[in-house]
Amino acid sequence: MEQTVLTPQKSPPKISRLTLLRNRLFGSARDSVLSVILLLIIATFGWIAIDWLLIGAVGPWGDRDACAAAAGACWPFLVEKHRLILFGTYPWDEQWRPLVASLLLLGGVGASMVPRWQDARLIWLWVGLSIAFTVLMRGGVPGLDYVQPERWNGLPVLLMLSIFGLVFAFPLGIVLALARHQDQLPAVRAIAVMWIELVRGVPMIMVLFLGLFVLPLMMPDDITLNPLITTMIALVIFHSAYFAESIRGGLQTVPMGQYEAADSQGLNWLQKTRLIILPQAIKVAMPGILNTVLGAYKDTSLVVIIGIHDIMATAKMSFSDPVWQRYGLEAYLFVGAWFLATCWCLSAYSRWLERRTS
Amino acid sequence: MRVLRSQFFWQAVVVGTLVWLGYVLASNIEANLAKSNIKLSFDFLSGQAGFDISESLLSVSSESSYASVILAGVINTVTLAICCIIGATVIGVLMGILRSSGHYLGERVAAFYIEITRNLPKLLILLALYLAMVTALPVVRESWSLFDVIHISNRAVYFPIIAQGAGLYWLFLMVALWPVALVLLGRVAARAQDKTGKRFPVFWPVTAGALLLIAAPALLGLAPYTLSWPELKGFDFAGGGRISVQFCVLVLALSIYHGGQVAELVRGAIQSVPVGQFEAAKASGLSFGQMTRLVILPQAIRAAVPSMGNQYLNITKNTSIGLAVGYSDLVSVMTTSINQTFRPIELMTVSMCVYLGICLIVSWLVNVYNARVMAVRA
Repeated sequence: MEQTVLTPQKSPPKISRLTLLRNRLFGSARDSVLSVILLLIIATFGWIAIDWLLIGAVGPWGDRDACAAAAGACWPFLVEKHRLILFGTYPWDEQWRPLVASLLLLGGVGASMVPRWQDARLIWLWVGLSIAFTVLMRGGVPGLDYVQPERWNGLPVLLMLSIFGLVFAFPLGIVLALARHQDQLPAVRAIAVMWIELVRGVPMIMVLFLGLFVLPLMMPDDITLNPLITTMIALVIFHSAYFAESIRGGLQTVPMGQYEAADSQGLNWLQKTRLIILPQAIKVAMPGILNTVLGAYKDTSLVVIIGIHDIMATAKMSFSDPVWQRYGLEAYLFVGAWFLATCWCLSAYSRWLERRTS
Repeated sequence: MRVLRSQFFWQAVVVGTLVWLGYVLASNIEANLAKSNIKLSFDFLSGQAGFDISESLLSVSSESSYASVILAGVINTVTLAICCIIGATVIGVLMGILRSSGHYLGERVAAFYIEITRNLPKLLILLALYLAMVTALPVVRESWSLFDVIHISNRAVYFPIIAQGAGLYWLFLMVALWPVALVLLGRVAARAQDKTGKRFPVFWPVTAGALLLIAAPALLGLAPYTLSWPELKGFDFAGGGRISVQFCVLVLALSIYHGGQVAELVRGAIQSVPVGQFEAAKASGLSFGQMTRLVILPQAIRAAVPSMGNQYLNITKNTSIGLAVGYSDLVSVMTTSINQTFRPIELMTVSMCVYLGICLIVSWLVNVYNARVMAVRA
């Protein structure tokens, strides 16, 4: 007769955190070598960073005259110049307007991210937001003084160009993707293919220069375009091609049966596309679309090259002042922190969406 | 029949609208140009450009024609793109391997690097690095010198080069023949391996032979290589070769920026290799290096090629941000020319065609390579 021997249940041995860390870092000879190299690199860079950011630096409310002698960062510079970096040369007393306008846009983006609200209402939200933004920034209505567009600088310009550029480019991208995906209208398809491939084959700066140099030439005599508008048009043209390719990737995953089912239900083309095909395609294409959005948002900073004063330009402005000339890195750090924070939110949202749908 | 007619109708509507729009815009352009007495033509390309390019592999001066200045810009763009592609690939592959190495600290360091580059604009990285370099490096007269051979200042890196002459051409010839010989002998070696199971060494013998041939004229007492040394004269160095600090910063910034994206691709590609392959490699007693080199990477590369090709295209296009630090690439030459001649249409057409051409060539090369690595599988 066989007897089964039950081994008593053992809880895993307790390992202290330190032992665990030691095992992870120095478990084998190869791991140890790599750990030592990495620790040395981290220590060097970490020390340089801490020394510059904290130890050798002058604190934010410190004496600004001490900056000249300090080896590290000069934080009084940011205290003095943060409004210049954020809002540029917008009239000082009116700077609550760009602040409110920027917050409105950010709020709009936040609202558009909520899956429950992603329907036709968004169109009205963005129409309303664009009117509110323009009125706030431009003024010229009772209670708000007129401010020339040349004085719109910094953060609101970055947000305006990136957000409105993307908001207008998205529907255009859908149209281009649909045009390229079908085969009943070969001429329309050829136009879409040409548009997409031409735009994707040249750098963004070329498209921006096209907006700067060629677009004004295309206008009749009596229309002069504001540089902000031409830049926006160029951005819409550029981003639409990238959106189109992301969405087309989604369209390709919608099975043939869905088209046939929609047709057999007697839906017309518009109903079929709007109710059946696009919702599925966009859902699949979402990671790609959000990647495009992230890249487009970061690349909006390139408009500084064609002389639009976004946040990169105002950062440069802030340290062109002879008194503060040596503190450019602090200004770039400030801008970098803004981009890190906002892009991180976007990536986190993208990861959350992916978890939610899978 | 009804369907066909409606198809024709809609296409006619779209094409008709676009043709009409194109006509209106074109006639506006015509009218606007006529006002400033400019007629569309490419004749100006042979005219004297009147501006200089500070850094170029071609010898251009302010007396060169627009065509040759533009060509110098194209060559600068291509040079920069090649250097950035190499840099980004090296950084990206290293970081990608580190990211999926299983090493506790290494994975975190690589993840941190990827996250930072993913969330910062490339222009910001470029401008911040440029500013840091220009302030940290010494002015020309006080440049750091490494053994009096290489001099580093905040304007450029100066180094000795081989002066033009028969020696230089011999050197170029040997350097160009070296990879050709490697490929040809590699094929012979592969055939021999198929037949006999033994492979004779190729890389080191060929390299040694090339080095010997390069040294041969000197050994025969011909003194073929005369060096041109950089010497400080007045406010700048004369003689020798130089690479501007703008070029260095551009290569560094774009390599760092795109390195993060390449690392993500490499990680995805490594993850696409089945776990069984890792286990099998370990069970066969391969070391980590052997496993990575012989088992994992060859399979991972196959998964990565299409997206890597896309990435290389992006790098090529992104070299155009060189304008922001004043590097004379194609876009920079183009804008200077536009400002001088006010011929935006012609100049932008030329530049767009060049970029489209470069993109076509790169994607063709990637396709050729892709076909090759795919063929290995069969």
